[in-house]
Amino acid sequence: MDWDWSFVWEILPALLQGVVITIKATILGTALALVLGLVFALLRRSRRRAVAVPVASLVEFVRGTPLLVQLYFLFYVLPDLGILLPPLGAGVIGFGVHYATYMSEVYRAGIDNVARGQWEAAKACNLTTAQTWRHIILPQAIPPMIPALANYFVAMFKETPLLSAITVLELMNQARSVANFNYRYLEPMTLVGAFFLAISLVSVAGLRMLERRYGRLN
Amino acid sequence: MTRCLGKWDGALRRAALIAGVAAVAAVAPAPARAQDALARLKEQGFCRIAIANEPPFTAVNPDGKVSGAGPDVARAVFKKLGVDDVVASISEYGAMIPGLQARRFDAITAGLFMKPERCRAVAYSEPILCDTEAFAVKKGNPDKLLSYEDVGKNPKARIGVPGGGVEEKLSLAAGVPRDRAIVVPDGQSGIKMLQDGRIDVYTLPVLSISDLLKKANDPSIEMVAPVQGAPISCDGAAFRKQDASLRDAFDKVLAEMKQSGEFAKIVEPYGFSAAAAMQTSREKLCGGPN
Repeated sequence: MDWDWSFVWEILPALLQGVVITIKATILGTALALVLGLVFALLRRSRRRAVAVPVASLVEFVRGTPLLVQLYFLFYVLPDLGILLPPLGAGVIGFGVHYATYMSEVYRAGIDNVARGQWEAAKACNLTTAQTWRHIILPQAIPPMIPALANYFVAMFKETPLLSAITVLELMNQARSVANFNYRYLEPMTLVGAFFLAISLVSVAGLRMLERRYGRLN
Repeated sequence: MTRCLGKWDGALRRAALIAGVAAVAAVAPAPARAQDALARLKEQGFCRIAIANEPPFTAVNPDGKVSGAGPDVARAVFKKLGVDDVVASISEYGAMIPGLQARRFDAITAGLFMKPERCRAVAYSEPILCDTEAFAVKKGNPDKLLSYEDVGKNPKARIGVPGGGVEEKLSLAAGVPRDRAIVVPDGQSGIKMLQDGRIDVYTLPVLSISDLLKKANDPSIEMVAPVQGAPISCDGAAFRKQDASLRDAFDKVLAEMKQSGEFAKIVEPYGFSAAAAMQTSREKLCGGPN
């Protein structure tokens, strides 16, 4: 097995294109998951059973089925219903919804951890429900959640190679296609691993910083 | 207490390390014995072949039995060589040669067409299955796509290709940019993506496209064949370079079968021309000795 540097330079531009798509998919997927996750968590707390029960079943359904199956469904089955999502769009929705269900559990735990007295105090101060959420509950609930949410971000990033199954030309798919072309797997797959590791380490460091700044309650 | 824990921790870690090393040693393959490849296959009782599950070249029947023209020829040749059966692994085209080199298969009999660069990597038998390329398009061929160049020139046309297949290389060589040459996992997905409008044209060899269209039975898709300017390609059984003796033995039996007409009896029901394979040679298709 011999490492070929000239081959590395030759395939680097294609792989970097893949890196860009991978990062794009992760960021869009995370943004969607953060927002949807909060929505799921709030709806699930609703006192109206007609809202809470369907949302809870949706969350359990999505959490209980594999992401790859969901991606295939979005990519191959939705067009039969007249909904044709572009590959990356289908991927972002798949990842966003899947991880939103996990993140909604994090939100739920974070919200449940806010002391009961805070709710009562807010009521005593005559704050509206919206005010209570915005000024009292969420500012106390979210900072402790940052480490758990950050974990899901890194996990999602590392799962993006699943997108290659629905023809998104992300890093893994690019690497496979250059490997297929040159009958060499050593350099492309090593580089994929190296890219993932480097980006993971950088984002973990960034998230730690975020955690140090905002993660503790004053 | 902490000291005590630390000690335990160290001992545990050492134990885990030893267990880990032992486990790796147990599953690591024994060094390949210097042994004749054919003798090894005879001992093993079967030959592990790479296929793509692309009828009529290669197919896996609903009952799990491997068929298709490539495996059928391989099975017949190997039987005469004293190897009882073939066992197939499904693989992407591009992954076949690396897989062969990594000893995941003993041979490739998948319609992996001979190309000079492939001939440099593997030892091919004489030609077995010959075909040229076709397009599957929407009815009436709305974009008037007749050649790979047509796809390259049309800035909106997206073409579905098999990953690492000849068709992918032909498309890119004809000027189709990477983001419009979409790697499709298998034939059924290719037709589905064409029906859904994810791609505008799907390309595979003529016999594969006609097989797919027959199965899809969808009047809204049609075939363009042959693709203008596309070469006639032939595959051969591919072996590792160091197993050239196995390849030579395979060739000898294959030549006899071509002479006796047995070869034609296997490939022609699948739609392949035995004459086409017999008129050309490995040396011609590889552009030199292999």
